[in-house]
Amino acid sequence: MTTIAAPPRSGRTVALYALAGAVLAVWAFPVVWGLLTSFKTERDVLAYPPVWIFTPTLVNYRDVLFGASSIVPNLFSSLVVASFATALTLVFGIPAAYAMARLRFPAKRTAGFYVLATQMLPPVGLIIPYYLALQKVGGLDTYAGLVVIDLTFSLPFAIWLLVSYFEDVPVEMEEAALLDRAGRLRALWHVILPQVRGGIAVTTIFVFLNAWNEFMFAVVLGGNRVRPVTVAMFNFISVEQTQWARLAAGAMLAMAPVILLGLFAQRHIVKGLTVGAVKGGGRR
Amino acid sequence: MHAGRTFEQQERSFALALLVPALAVLVVTTTAPLVYLGWSSLHRIDLGMPWLSGFAGADNFAKMGSDPRFWNSLLLTAIYTATTVVLQVAVGLALALLVLQIPKGQGLLRVAAILPIVLAPVVVGLFWRTLVLAPDVGLVDMVTRALGLGSHNWLGDPQLALISVIAIHTWQWTPFAFLVLLATLSTLPPDVYEAARLDRADAWQRFRHLTLPLIRPAVVMVVILRTMTALSAFAAIFAATGGGPGSATEILNLYAYRTSFSELNLGYGASLAVVLLAITMAISYAMFRLRRARR
Repeated sequence: MTTIAAPPRSGRTVALYALAGAVLAVWAFPVVWGLLTSFKTERDVLAYPPVWIFTPTLVNYRDVLFGASSIVPNLFSSLVVASFATALTLVFGIPAAYAMARLRFPAKRTAGFYVLATQMLPPVGLIIPYYLALQKVGGLDTYAGLVVIDLTFSLPFAIWLLVSYFEDVPVEMEEAALLDRAGRLRALWHVILPQVRGGIAVTTIFVFLNAWNEFMFAVVLGGNRVRPVTVAMFNFISVEQTQWARLAAGAMLAMAPVILLGLFAQRHIVKGLTVGAVKGGGRR
Repeated sequence: MHAGRTFEQQERSFALALLVPALAVLVVTTTAPLVYLGWSSLHRIDLGMPWLSGFAGADNFAKMGSDPRFWNSLLLTAIYTATTVVLQVAVGLALALLVLQIPKGQGLLRVAAILPIVLAPVVVGLFWRTLVLAPDVGLVDMVTRALGLGSHNWLGDPQLALISVIAIHTWQWTPFAFLVLLATLSTLPPDVYEAARLDRADAWQRFRHLTLPLIRPAVVMVVILRTMTALSAFAAIFAATGGGPGSATEILNLYAYRTSFSELNLGYGASLAVVLLAITMAISYAMFRLRRARR
């Protein structure tokens, strides 16, 4: 990309690198500082000036994993909710995305717009009716309630993201399969789906990540039994005191999966973040 | 001809078989609850005083007119949305333009940009509340103390709290604008720039007349997406300030939440959510129209 830049001058390059370094520090800082804090004793956390070099301790991780306020049950809750939400999203989303990307049927535009519109609903508008309804049928503090409400954001997102991957499959492959009298469903299963394996993997990652990070639904519809880890972070904060180092250790454990997934899928993140808007601009 | 029609019919029924289950799920999980939301907004549903519950007509909406907390939340929503979106786009674009000129190491910045985005907003809010902004212990406070600016209650003072939650949101989502705009800038044809340089256009002119028109669709897209996120921002503010102190950071989304689930006045909460829904729909409709008109 140096073609766009003016001919490099060394002073300018140094300034640019300094700026880049500063930006890097600002973006990475909370995670790095959180990581350091998670290995500190409470006394080291409160030291001023802050200590960069200290004797690391694993006591916070031990407390958070095996202590009285263990977050292991919460990690399990998050895993169950995010896994089921992801699985259901794929079961419903993959066929729908294929139809939207490739098949001709009436009111296709309207269907696409409907899916897009559902993606834009403010969550607070959904949580109130869900709370009222689930309260009546005893569905609060159940996995089913949380999984279902997570579909409201994951399914529209997944459909639009998958459409973009299905569109990349060459039409000829499909036509060849159909000419073989392979039946549409068989063609989809044996010919098309293997072509979008990568896209399905990326979709799985993003849907799981969003469901794992979800908070508002979890705090309202969850309870003592179903309590995802995003809600459990408040275990370490109360009016009287903040358990700094334990909070940091808990947050590191809670965020490790999404950080790893995010880094793994990093090349696809821009696509994943913008997918609805790119398609929804009325081009089709 | 006859064969073609059966082929078309076959395609159509196959498409419906694939699509209808997903659409049915969306109708049941999103549209039906919204109808119920609208219905609830016309009722008094007060879990603290359940005996008073019942049909209330447009009472909830009429009540908003004389509810200073509602108008405050609308104002805060406007301030919060406008400042975070403008900051994200301006900073993100400036950074993208600068980083583009770095010969090596762009990849490292791209990776670092992902960190804030993938973190759960609630964790971001808690991190800032404790490690970054807490008086005495937080990093920002340590810096201001070291600079002789003194210690501040960053989340306890009404004005500072608003600035702080805006800063938190901007921190988490500027990387999004940066990544999208960097990706867009990277695809621009370099020969245009060569021609412009030969024409002795200076950097600002090149940006104003070449780059900006080319990346306009991407900028508009970022603005739309960021506006939607800002309007429904919740977890980071909830974790950092809970909407407080008082109602200093209580954007409409938080007001609807607190009314419903702290004060248990779900009828009024539902009507506030209906207003937020209407605002969101109106803004997204206007923005998509604007974008289509510009094309």
